[in-house]
Order: sequence, then C-alpha cells, then structure tokens
Amino acid sequence: MIGFLQRRLSLRRALESVRPRLYRLAWSWCHDADEANDVVQEACLKAMERTAQLKDPARAEQWLVKIMSNVFLDRVRARREHMDITAVELESVDDGPLEAAQRSHAVDQVRAAIRTLSVDQRMVLTMVDLMEFSYAEVSETLEIPVGTVMSRLCRARRRLKERLLLQVGMPRPAAAGHLRRVK
Amino acid sequence: MSTEDTDLSDESLNAIVDGEYPMHEQAELMAVVQADASHSNRMCALRSLKVMVQNAYAEVPAPAGRDRRRRRAGLMGVAASLALGLAAVLGVGLSDGGRQAERFVVLDADGRGQRPAVAEDQETRIVFHLLDGDMDAAGELLDEVETLLADYRHRKAALRIEVVAHSDGLALLRRRLSSHQERVASLARTYPNLAFVACSNTVRRLRVEKGLEVTLIPEARETASGVTHVVRRQQEGWAYIKV
Repeated sequence: MIGFLQRRLSLRRALESVRPRLYRLAWSWCHDADEANDVVQEACLKAMERTAQLKDPARAEQWLVKIMSNVFLDRVRARREHMDITAVELESVDDGPLEAAQRSHAVDQVRAAIRTLSVDQRMVLTMVDLMEFSYAEVSETLEIPVGTVMSRLCRARRRLKERLLLQVGMPRPAAAGHLRRVK
Repeated sequence: MSTEDTDLSDESLNAIVDGEYPMHEQAELMAVVQADASHSNRMCALRSLKVMVQNAYAEVPAPAGRDRRRRRAGLMGVAASLALGLAAVLGVGLSDGGRQAERFVVLDADGRGQRPAVAEDQETRIVFHLLDGDMDAAGELLDEVETLLADYRHRKAALRIEVVAHSDGLALLRRRLSSHQERVASLARTYPNLAFVACSNTVRRLRVEKGLEVTLIPEARETASGVTHVVRRQQEGWAYIKV
C-alpha cells in the first residue's frame, strides 16, 4: 500500500513537471487549445487511475504519451468513425493565392504544412522532433514496427519538404545546428 | 540500424539526422554524406525541417482564458479569504453569536472585501465561479467549500453554496476529465445546500464549435450562461468569489 501511494505521489509530481510538454505535443496534434487541453487532462486522469501499471517510473513520460496517444486516437476515431484513420487530415488550410501571400509568418507556414499530414505521420513526426523520442520509443508508444515509424517519418518529412522548402519564392531557413550525438 | 544500407535512402538520412545510429556508424555515414554534394544537400534539408518543426511548436497558445499562475494566486486569495471569513464568523460567534453571519467578510481574488448575502432568515449565500481547469485548484476549492459547509452545519447556521463551472473550470463537472467525481457526488449527497452548476454556453461551444464530446456528471445542473448566472446571484446579494 505504501509502495502504491509512493508511486502515486511520484506520478503526480511527474505529471506536474511534464504537463507543459504533453500539452505542447497534444497541441501539435490538434492545433486547437481547448482540444489539446482536454486530451492532456483526460490522459492525466487515466494515468492516475492506472498508477499501478507504471512499472518503470523513469519512463513515466513515455508511458504518459502512450496514454495520451490512445486518448487522442479514440477521439479522432469517434469523430470520424467511418473514415480510414490513417488518411485523416485536419481541415485543409490550403489558402488562395492572396491568403497564401498573407501567410508570411514562418511558424504559421510550418504549422499549416504539418496540419496537412495524416494523423499517423503527424504523431510520429512530433514524437521524434518535439519529444526527442528514439524510433524504438515511438514504436513502443504507438505499438507499430520500427520500420513503420521510419516510413511514416520519411513520408512526413518528404511532404513538409515539398511544401516548405521547394516552393518558389519561399525563403529557405538557415542551416540547422550540429547533429545531436547518438544516445 | 545497419550501415550496410549506404546508398543513403531518405530513411537512412532521417536516421542520421535523428541520431539513431551508434556513434561509430554515425561517423562513417557522415563521411559518406560529406563526400557527396547531393547527399549533403538532402541531409541539410532534413536538418532544417527538424529545426523548423521544433521552432513551430516552441510556444503554443494556451487554452482560452487560461492563466494558471493568476488563477492559482486567485485560489490562494479565496483560501485566505475563506480562512478570514471563518475566523470572523468564529470570533463573532464567541462574542455575540446571534449576528455572526452579517459580519462574515469575504475578500475576492483581487483583495476587495465583500459582505456575503444574508437573507432575512440569516442564510449566508456564496457563489464560487470556477474558471480554472486545473484539478489541484478544483480540489483546493472543494476543500474550502467542505470546510465552510461543515462549519455552518456544526453551528446550525444556514448556508447555501453554488459552484458555477465555466470555461476551463467546466472540467470539474465533465465525466471524462474530472478527477473529483466521487468527491463532488459525496459532497452533493451530504450537503443538499450545495449545488454544482455547469455553463451551457461553454458546453455548447465545446460541442458545436470544437466537436468535443462533453458529458456532465449527474450532480451538475445546467444554466444557460455561467456569467449571467453569477451576475444574477450578485444582484440577489450573494457573495461572489472567482476561482
């Protein structure tokens, strides 16, 4: 009993510290503050109910992301139950020429491009880039093979490249920093 | 990851950019990349995309009207005010018990003093306007509400409390989001003079505009507009405390 309470207290602390990262990830999936807030809150509630299932407290964040992924996918499925989930994209943000010209802010451009990705591509991409999960961690979190993680990521970045780097007149970003060291 | 696949497919380049290879393989592959301008350009584009994605979500919009720090400060103000109020009630109760409710002074979140509504029958009426979706803050509110209710019951003094959940605060009364459902049910059972009120406008906004599933717990009564409801309560003389 004491062990359970300690785990629960420890999870509560972990939730407080990781909640901003979870919210950012959820927002990158939904692109809506209210929905992202709901997804995080529901995931936190489920996590507290399932404290006993957390075997390794050092991997609490990955466990929370897994719960949050399922919450989000359940919502997507419930909303579009007759559609193929792998093909689901957020509402298109393809603007007309005038609107596109007005959409000058780089952040908006990148977010708009990511909104056009399918849910599965978007989730893999954001887990790798925002949460810095390894491919193995993404594979475990989403319960898909590593090869699938790689192909989804590849397709996602190929599409972003087409939209963000190959468009005529689009300024190319400055070169990124050094490669981060392998784990 | 294996370095045998040195034709450097997009998958391989992504894996280099994401640091998936062991260090020695990473070094070997980097040498291959640097020796070929085409590989270098492709990898440069992938690295740029990675940074662009990270920058795009470095800061994201908070939920509408959400300012946790301000709200937390507000809740502490409520806690302090309630403690002050109880102290005032208890203090007066010792001196001239008959008029204690009239001297119950509550400070709102901004520190302004308010006299709670006291009807002809000496009933004290307080409406809490919950705007914060943080479950810890909601839990602290329930603590304070329970303390008040228990104290008034103990002294056989009349008290009515409404908790009006609005905006993010609606989470307290939502089946899939609230971590205090059992406690709300228990409080509602124990204290018939306590009511939980949900703002229908918020429910409709989430359902219609956002397409979210919103199911309220059975203890929640709905009011058309949370704001209108608390304004009406204030006009009726209820003490108003924003959380």
